[in-house]
Amino acid sequence: MSNEVMNKEKWVLLFREIGLDDATMRKWHHEFEARYPNEHQSFLEWLKIPEAEISMIRAQ
Amino acid sequence: MFTIGQVAKKYGLSRSTLIYYDNIGILTPSGRSESNYRLYSDNDLKKMGRMMLFRSAGLSLDSIPSLLDKQGDDLNSSLEHRLSSINNEIQGLRNQQKVILNILENESAVKGSRVITKETWVSLLKAAGLDEDGMKNWHVEFEKTSPEAHQDFLESIGIEKDEIISIREWSKIDDQN
Repeated sequence: MSNEVMNKEKWVLLFREIGLDDATMRKWHHEFEARYPNEHQSFLEWLKIPEAEISMIRAQ
Repeated sequence: MFTIGQVAKKYGLSRSTLIYYDNIGILTPSGRSESNYRLYSDNDLKKMGRMMLFRSAGLSLDSIPSLLDKQGDDLNSSLEHRLSSINNEIQGLRNQQKVILNILENESAVKGSRVITKETWVSLLKAAGLDEDGMKNWHVEFEKTSPEAHQDFLESIGIEKDEIISIREWSKIDDQN
Protein backbone atom coordinates (compact mmCIF):
# COMPACT_ATOMS: atom_id res chain seq x y z
CA MET A 1 0.00 0.00 0.00
CA SER A 2 1.18 3.51 -0.73
CA ASN A 3 1.48 6.31 1.79
CA GLU A 4 -1.37 8.17 0.22
CA VAL A 5 -4.30 7.99 2.56
CA MET A 6 -7.83 7.50 1.39
CA ASN A 7 -10.34 8.78 3.85
CA LYS A 8 -14.02 9.49 4.10
CA GLU A 9 -13.73 13.13 3.03
CA LYS A 10 -11.79 12.28 -0.11
CA TRP A 11 -14.15 9.47 -0.94
CA VAL A 12 -17.24 11.65 -0.55
CA LEU A 13 -15.61 14.37 -2.61
CA LEU A 14 -14.91 11.83 -5.32
CA PHE A 15 -18.49 10.67 -5.40
CA ARG A 16 -19.79 14.23 -5.36
CA GLU A 17 -17.48 15.13 -8.22
CA ILE A 18 -19.11 12.57 -10.47
CA GLY A 19 -22.57 13.80 -9.61
CA LEU A 20 -23.73 11.54 -6.81
CA ASP A 21 -25.86 13.50 -4.38
CA ASP A 22 -26.53 12.71 -0.70
CA ALA A 23 -29.65 10.72 -1.45
CA THR A 24 -27.82 8.55 -3.98
CA MET A 25 -24.95 7.96 -1.56
CA ARG A 26 -27.40 6.88 1.11
CA LYS A 27 -28.97 4.50 -1.39
CA TRP A 28 -25.52 3.22 -2.20
CA HIS A 29 -24.78 2.41 1.44
CA HIS A 30 -28.15 0.79 1.71
CA GLU A 31 -27.42 -1.50 -1.27
CA PHE A 32 -23.94 -2.20 0.01
CA GLU A 33 -25.31 -3.22 3.40
CA ALA A 34 -28.10 -5.33 1.93
CA ARG A 35 -25.93 -7.20 -0.53
CA TYR A 36 -22.53 -7.44 1.13
CA PRO A 37 -22.69 -6.57 4.85
CA ASN A 38 -19.18 -7.87 5.69
CA GLU A 39 -17.59 -6.05 2.80
CA HIS A 40 -19.46 -2.89 3.75
CA GLN A 41 -17.92 -3.05 7.23
CA SER A 42 -14.43 -3.63 5.80
CA PHE A 43 -14.85 -0.81 3.35
CA LEU A 44 -15.87 1.66 6.06
CA GLU A 45 -12.92 0.52 8.18
CA TRP A 46 -10.66 1.06 5.20
CA LEU A 47 -11.84 4.68 5.11
CA LYS A 48 -10.76 4.87 8.77
CA ILE A 49 -14.21 5.77 9.96
CA PRO A 50 -14.60 5.31 13.76
CA GLU A 51 -16.48 2.19 14.88
CA ALA A 52 -19.39 4.18 16.36
CA GLU A 53 -19.97 6.01 13.11
CA ILE A 54 -19.70 2.76 11.15
CA SER A 55 -22.48 1.27 13.26
CA MET A 56 -24.59 4.32 12.58
CA ILE A 57 -24.04 4.21 8.84
CA ARG A 58 -24.78 0.50 8.68
CA ALA A 59 -27.95 0.82 10.72
CA GLN A 60 -29.50 3.35 8.39
CA MET B 1 -34.14 -61.86 -32.46
CA PHE B 2 -30.97 -60.06 -31.47
CA THR B 3 -27.58 -61.43 -30.44
CA ILE B 4 -25.93 -60.32 -27.22
CA GLY B 5 -23.44 -58.28 -29.26
CA GLN B 6 -26.25 -56.34 -30.98
CA VAL B 7 -28.01 -55.62 -27.69
CA ALA B 8 -24.77 -54.56 -26.03
CA LYS B 9 -24.04 -52.16 -28.86
CA LYS B 10 -27.56 -50.74 -28.91
CA TYR B 11 -27.48 -49.87 -25.21
CA GLY B 12 -23.80 -49.07 -24.84
CA LEU B 13 -23.26 -51.89 -22.35
CA SER B 14 -20.60 -54.57 -22.28
CA ARG B 15 -21.41 -58.19 -23.06
CA SER B 16 -20.33 -59.14 -19.56
CA THR B 17 -22.91 -56.76 -18.08
CA LEU B 18 -25.66 -58.44 -20.09
CA ILE B 19 -24.42 -61.87 -19.01
CA TYR B 20 -24.46 -60.60 -15.41
CA TYR B 21 -28.05 -59.35 -15.83
CA ASP B 22 -28.94 -62.79 -17.14
CA ASN B 23 -27.20 -64.57 -14.25
CA ILE B 24 -28.93 -62.52 -11.56
CA GLY B 25 -32.22 -62.95 -13.38
CA ILE B 26 -33.15 -59.35 -14.11
CA LEU B 27 -32.96 -59.75 -17.89
CA THR B 28 -32.92 -63.28 -19.21
CA PRO B 29 -33.01 -63.58 -23.00
CA SER B 30 -36.04 -65.50 -24.14
CA GLY B 31 -34.24 -67.60 -26.72
CA ARG B 32 -31.10 -69.51 -27.52
CA SER B 33 -29.58 -70.21 -30.92
CA GLU B 34 -28.76 -73.74 -32.12
CA SER B 35 -25.24 -73.24 -30.85
CA ASN B 36 -26.70 -72.07 -27.51
CA TYR B 37 -25.97 -68.34 -27.96
CA ARG B 38 -28.26 -65.92 -26.14
CA LEU B 39 -31.00 -64.42 -28.31
CA TYR B 40 -33.05 -61.40 -27.23
CA SER B 41 -36.62 -60.80 -28.47
CA ASP B 42 -38.29 -57.46 -29.15
CA ASN B 43 -39.99 -57.84 -25.81
CA ASP B 44 -36.63 -58.38 -24.07
CA LEU B 45 -35.41 -55.16 -25.67
CA LYS B 46 -38.47 -53.28 -24.43
CA LYS B 47 -37.73 -54.55 -20.95
CA MET B 48 -34.11 -53.51 -21.38
CA GLY B 49 -35.22 -50.00 -22.40
CA ARG B 50 -37.32 -49.65 -19.27
CA MET B 51 -34.46 -50.96 -17.15
CA MET B 52 -32.08 -48.39 -18.56
CA LEU B 53 -34.63 -45.68 -17.84
CA PHE B 54 -34.96 -46.77 -14.21
CA ARG B 55 -31.19 -46.99 -13.86
CA SER B 56 -30.78 -43.47 -15.16
CA ALA B 57 -33.29 -42.33 -12.50
CA GLY B 58 -30.83 -43.73 -9.94
CA LEU B 59 -32.92 -46.75 -8.95
CA SER B 60 -30.91 -49.65 -7.62
CA LEU B 61 -30.40 -52.82 -9.61
CA ASP B 62 -32.07 -54.75 -6.79
CA SER B 63 -35.28 -52.81 -7.10
CA ILE B 64 -35.53 -53.19 -10.86
CA PRO B 65 -37.04 -56.68 -11.23
CA SER B 66 -40.03 -55.73 -9.11
CA LEU B 67 -40.34 -52.38 -10.88
CA LEU B 68 -40.40 -54.04 -14.30
CA ASP B 69 -43.53 -55.93 -13.34
CA LYS B 70 -45.19 -52.90 -11.84
CA GLN B 71 -47.55 -50.56 -13.61
CA GLY B 72 -49.83 -47.68 -12.76
CA ASP B 73 -50.12 -46.77 -9.09
CA ASP B 74 -47.57 -49.35 -7.94
CA LEU B 75 -44.98 -47.95 -10.28
CA ASN B 76 -45.86 -44.37 -9.36
CA SER B 77 -45.43 -45.00 -5.67
CA SER B 78 -41.99 -46.57 -6.23
CA LEU B 79 -40.96 -43.59 -8.33
CA GLU B 80 -42.31 -41.15 -5.76
CA HIS B 81 -40.29 -42.96 -3.15
CA ARG B 82 -37.16 -42.47 -5.24
CA LEU B 83 -38.07 -38.82 -5.79
CA SER B 84 -38.36 -38.19 -2.08
CA SER B 85 -35.00 -39.83 -1.44
CA ILE B 86 -33.47 -37.57 -4.14
CA ASN B 87 -35.03 -34.58 -2.38
CA ASN B 88 -33.47 -35.71 0.89
CA GLU B 89 -30.08 -36.00 -0.77
CA ILE B 90 -30.43 -32.50 -2.21
CA GLN B 91 -31.41 -31.16 1.20
CA GLY B 92 -28.35 -32.86 2.67
CA LEU B 93 -26.11 -31.28 0.05
CA ARG B 94 -27.69 -27.86 0.66
CA ASN B 95 -26.89 -28.18 4.35
CA GLN B 96 -23.30 -29.07 3.53
CA GLN B 97 -23.14 -26.09 1.19
CA LYS B 98 -24.42 -23.82 3.94
CA VAL B 99 -21.87 -25.10 6.44
CA ILE B 100 -19.04 -24.52 3.97
CA LEU B 101 -20.26 -21.00 3.16
CA ASN B 102 -20.44 -20.21 6.88
CA ILE B 103 -16.92 -21.48 7.43
CA LEU B 104 -15.59 -19.46 4.51
CA GLU B 105 -17.40 -16.34 5.66
CA ASN B 106 -16.00 -16.66 9.17
CA GLU B 107 -12.53 -17.26 7.79
CA SER B 108 -12.62 -14.05 5.80
CA ALA B 109 -14.07 -12.13 8.75
CA VAL B 110 -11.25 -13.41 10.93
CA LYS B 111 -8.63 -12.28 8.49
CA GLY B 112 -10.36 -8.93 8.31
CA SER B 113 -9.56 -8.87 4.65
CA ARG B 114 -11.69 -7.00 2.22
CA VAL B 115 -13.13 -9.46 -0.21
CA ILE B 116 -14.77 -6.88 -2.40
CA THR B 117 -14.29 -7.86 -6.02
CA LYS B 118 -14.55 -5.84 -9.18
CA GLU B 119 -17.97 -7.41 -9.84
CA THR B 120 -19.25 -6.47 -6.37
CA TRP B 121 -18.07 -2.97 -6.87
CA VAL B 122 -19.51 -2.50 -10.34
CA SER B 123 -22.88 -3.89 -9.26
CA LEU B 124 -22.97 -1.45 -6.32
CA LEU B 125 -22.11 1.55 -8.43
CA LYS B 126 -24.77 0.49 -10.93
CA ALA B 127 -27.30 0.19 -8.11
CA ALA B 128 -26.45 3.73 -7.08
CA GLY B 129 -27.42 4.80 -10.57
CA LEU B 130 -24.01 5.16 -12.22
CA ASP B 131 -23.92 4.20 -15.87
CA GLU B 132 -20.80 3.35 -17.91
CA ASP B 133 -19.96 7.03 -18.39
CA GLY B 134 -20.45 7.72 -14.70
CA MET B 135 -18.03 4.95 -13.79
CA LYS B 136 -15.53 6.22 -16.31
CA ASN B 137 -15.79 9.68 -14.75
CA TRP B 138 -15.28 8.20 -11.35
CA HIS B 139 -11.96 6.64 -12.44
CA VAL B 140 -10.91 9.90 -14.07
CA GLU B 141 -11.62 11.86 -10.86
CA PHE B 142 -10.02 9.19 -8.71
CA GLU B 143 -6.88 9.30 -10.85
CA LYS B 144 -6.81 13.09 -10.77
CA THR B 145 -7.36 13.57 -7.05
CA SER B 146 -5.61 10.52 -5.56
CA PRO B 147 -3.58 8.58 -8.14
CA GLU B 148 -1.81 6.36 -5.60
CA ALA B 149 -4.98 5.53 -3.76
CA HIS B 150 -6.54 4.75 -7.13
CA GLN B 151 -3.77 2.19 -7.69
CA ASP B 152 -4.25 0.75 -4.18
CA PHE B 153 -7.96 0.56 -4.65
CA LEU B 154 -7.74 -1.27 -7.98
CA GLU B 155 -5.26 -3.73 -6.48
CA SER B 156 -7.50 -4.29 -3.47
CA ILE B 157 -10.43 -5.44 -5.59
CA GLY B 158 -8.22 -7.96 -7.33
CA ILE B 159 -7.77 -6.42 -10.76
CA GLU B 160 -4.79 -7.71 -12.76
CA LYS B 161 -1.70 -5.55 -13.14
CA ASP B 162 -2.13 -5.07 -16.88
CA GLU B 163 -5.75 -4.04 -16.54
CA ILE B 164 -4.84 -1.55 -13.79
CA ILE B 165 -2.27 0.05 -16.08
CA SER B 166 -4.82 0.30 -18.84
CA ILE B 167 -7.54 1.74 -16.57
CA ARG B 168 -5.16 4.38 -15.20
CA GLU B 169 -3.95 5.19 -18.70
CA TRP B 170 -7.37 5.97 -20.10
CA SER B 171 -8.29 7.77 -16.88
CA LYS B 172 -5.44 10.19 -17.56
CA ILE B 173 -6.13 10.54 -21.27
CA ASP B 174 -9.79 11.35 -20.72
CA ASP B 175 -8.83 13.99 -18.20
CA GLN B 176 -6.83 15.87 -20.80
CA ASN B 177 -9.74 16.03 -23.21
